[in-house]
Amino acid sequence: MHDPNDTHRTRRKFLAAAAAAGVVGVAGCNTPDEGGDGTETEAETETSGGDGGGGSADPDQIGSGRGPFGDRELGGVSMEEMPDLEGELTVYSGRGEALVGELVGFIDDLYPDLTIRPRYNTAAELVSQIETEGQNSPADVFYSVNAGALGTLADRDRTRALPREVLEFVPANFRDPDGEWIGTSGRARSVPYNTDALAASDIPEDIMAFPDTDAFEGEVGWTPTYSSFQAFVTAMRILEGEDATREWLVGMQDLGASTYGDEFQIARAVADGEIAVGLANHYYIQRVLARRPNAPLDTAFTRNDAGAIFNVAGACVLDTASDATLASNFVRHLLSAEAQDYFARETFEYPLVPDVDPVGRLPTIDELNPPEGLDLSELSDLEATVSLLRETGAL
Amino acid sequence: MAAEHQSTGGESDGESQLPLGASIAAAAVSAAVLLPVVWLVGTGVGVGLDSAVALLTRPTTLEVFVNSALLVALTTAACVAIGVPLAYLTVRTDLPFRRFWTIAVSLPLVIPSYVGAFAFVSAFGPQGDFQRLLAPLGVERIPEIYGLEGTVLILTLYTYPYVYITARASLKSMDTTLIDAARTLEHDRWETFRRVTVPQIRPAVAAGALLSGLYVLADFGTPAIMRYDVFTRVIFVEFGTFGRDTAILLSLQLVAVTVFILWLEARVRGEERTTAGGRSRAPVELGRWRYPAVAPVAAVAGLALVVPVAILVSWLGASSGATQPLAFRWSYAFNSVTVSAAAAAVAVVAAVPVAYLSARYGGQLADAFERISYVGYAVPGVVLGLALVFFGSSYATPVYQTLYLLVFAYVIRFLPQSVGSLRASFLSVDPELPEAARTLGQSSAGAFRHVTLPLVAPGLFGGAALVFLTTMKELPATLLLRPSGFTTLVTHIWTAYESGYFGQAAIPALVLLLVSGLSMLVILRQEGYDVQ
Repeated sequence: MHDPNDTHRTRRKFLAAAAAAGVVGVAGCNTPDEGGDGTETEAETETSGGDGGGGSADPDQIGSGRGPFGDRELGGVSMEEMPDLEGELTVYSGRGEALVGELVGFIDDLYPDLTIRPRYNTAAELVSQIETEGQNSPADVFYSVNAGALGTLADRDRTRALPREVLEFVPANFRDPDGEWIGTSGRARSVPYNTDALAASDIPEDIMAFPDTDAFEGEVGWTPTYSSFQAFVTAMRILEGEDATREWLVGMQDLGASTYGDEFQIARAVADGEIAVGLANHYYIQRVLARRPNAPLDTAFTRNDAGAIFNVAGACVLDTASDATLASNFVRHLLSAEAQDYFARETFEYPLVPDVDPVGRLPTIDELNPPEGLDLSELSDLEATVSLLRETGAL
Repeated sequence: MAAEHQSTGGESDGESQLPLGASIAAAAVSAAVLLPVVWLVGTGVGVGLDSAVALLTRPTTLEVFVNSALLVALTTAACVAIGVPLAYLTVRTDLPFRRFWTIAVSLPLVIPSYVGAFAFVSAFGPQGDFQRLLAPLGVERIPEIYGLEGTVLILTLYTYPYVYITARASLKSMDTTLIDAARTLEHDRWETFRRVTVPQIRPAVAAGALLSGLYVLADFGTPAIMRYDVFTRVIFVEFGTFGRDTAILLSLQLVAVTVFILWLEARVRGEERTTAGGRSRAPVELGRWRYPAVAPVAAVAGLALVVPVAILVSWLGASSGATQPLAFRWSYAFNSVTVSAAAAAVAVVAAVPVAYLSARYGGQLADAFERISYVGYAVPGVVLGLALVFFGSSYATPVYQTLYLLVFAYVIRFLPQSVGSLRASFLSVDPELPEAARTLGQSSAGAFRHVTLPLVAPGLFGGAALVFLTTMKELPATLLLRPSGFTTLVTHIWTAYESGYFGQAAIPALVLLLVSGLSMLVILRQEGYDVQ
């Protein structure tokens, strides 16, 4: 239909339109109808002319602001205003291809002289792979589902500090204090509950009160092998101490907590009424709701405790990167207006760039109450957590 | 085999003298299999004694070991109980549509067991689809699927084909004139089966059972989904917490357990040599049981294949309208078939000297070669994959993250499947037949090619089928070693599954079944036997 150059020009034009819409949005002049129509037309042109690199049958396009919970406008810095990417880049991605493949493919297609070789696997296995490859690793960028994997690589001196102008995209609490890695999107710990079984007022605002909540008896689910859950217990150890955490773990088992393999299972089990309440990252609930809008499922949050920690997915540049500038500029693209909007719409995560709002039945990032003074990279110290989980019989 | 050219003289003179060429080939294969283990031992030892002792003396260690042992024992027994009767029905009787059922009951091998487990939990879990179907009939609760029983059920459904395919190969090359002889001695059918057929197929069934048991021992996905706590979970907890070296140390314990099982199996093997000429007579007539006999065969295939596909398709329906980020492409099927066919071909060629020496000559060295071929199968795929990541990135950069190293990994991982199947077939060849050919002027290699190989063809293609089907579903080593951007059917299914887009896994899963079924048809045709 179009030759590649033509496609490329179309994309540029579409990005310019998206950026313009963003500026309008920031300026407070809401013209959703015009903006929406305009971008949508551009988006469809882009899809039909594309090579299907993202493999998408989806009319929603990156930067369009369209999503399952309604249309919106973009804020932040457009990719258009960022340095061009040129060369070959190997990205080890612990984030799934289904979630970020479209975005990576989009960036790849944006620049004719750029070739991205993404390698998808679980974050833990990619850390093992990078460790095993040692200095022979072909990896340039590691893109992770959590701060723990990034912190581990930083601790093992496998990362390279990011430049200040990239780090400045997000508030200081969403990046490594030494600048070795940066968060690109956020996930809040939350409490999915079944609205047929419980009312919002039945959910304690204090995570430590869960074991004493009679309504949860035999009705609560958790995921002791799941990395986000282990990060949460790590936070509890840091905030409440070993003894209180041990007591909590034992108390939850006394409640008859059911063990699940991952937190999407928890969200589905709560929606199905298999359990009344669980512990899960916030976006799993939104994903169930996007598919089943009438499911008796809602989100509660605890306040200022381990149950309310806010973790990030993020990226780092590896010490084996052949072109560190290219690598850090790729990370910069993950912080663009288009990418941040993509995370909000496609993965239901919290954008970390302050000008982009989350999507879904969620409070804004400022309305959350994460605990104060918790350094996310401390959450990578899972060893003592795993010992405690084993000691109490949770693992 | 080129190896056979150099073995002139060794073969007919004495059983103890191993032919040189075949020995060198078998030694090379063993060295390739041991290569990853060298790195595992080096890394595992680096963890230090204190951590090792601490890990081994944890209170939960005994419990998970007992759990693993129970799971392996029960599943293996169930695989034999299902696999052998199915093989008998599809080879030795006049069951209708035998070729169709042969393929259908082999296919559960290509369903990744975590997909099967996920489907069964979705279907038969509390509040699952099945329970919801029964709810109008007043059924409030169905039996618990989680735990030991459910795990055994699901692992049996997806591993019995190991027993089925090896037993089938053995039944096909069995000399059925012995059965006629037994019948003329007025044994009834059951007595004949017990006294004639069972001893002849025993080595093959043992090989299949060993493959099932070791698979179950090293499997992680199913017990995790079924909430049954086994030893592999301990390993994966370590991987999940970036404790790679500890995970490797724990995997070496799995290797130790495997060595113990192999030793035990060798002890109970007993007298295995059987003779066969490939002479076969008309199949057993089932008479009025001919059509009813289809029911159990269809039930097994239906349960193992229809449940996961139906569940995935129902998710596909549920997610239509939502965004569809994962488009299916036929190149994924092409990629899967290409690497699986290559792995099957190489694994069979590599297995010939190992299986031949062990079956034909025996002795410590030949048996050692055969036992060593199981080592790669004993460690979880991710551990084997990491070992090859190390060797590939350090010493073989040109082939690292290429298909060559990927196929090499498959061969090391699945070699015992072709060795086990082939060895059972070699055992059933009457050693006098190739010798007769030699007295008629054939060279040693000629006798092997013209007499022995045709007789072991069912085992050869049975082994190829096993390696092919298991490679079709291999995931962990594929994820670690594939070239960037190389997508197979199973990596595509995993991508959808892992991101929670279960419906998107339906189409690649259906294609996986279709393509594997067609490939099985091709493999079975090569056998040149009378599958109807």
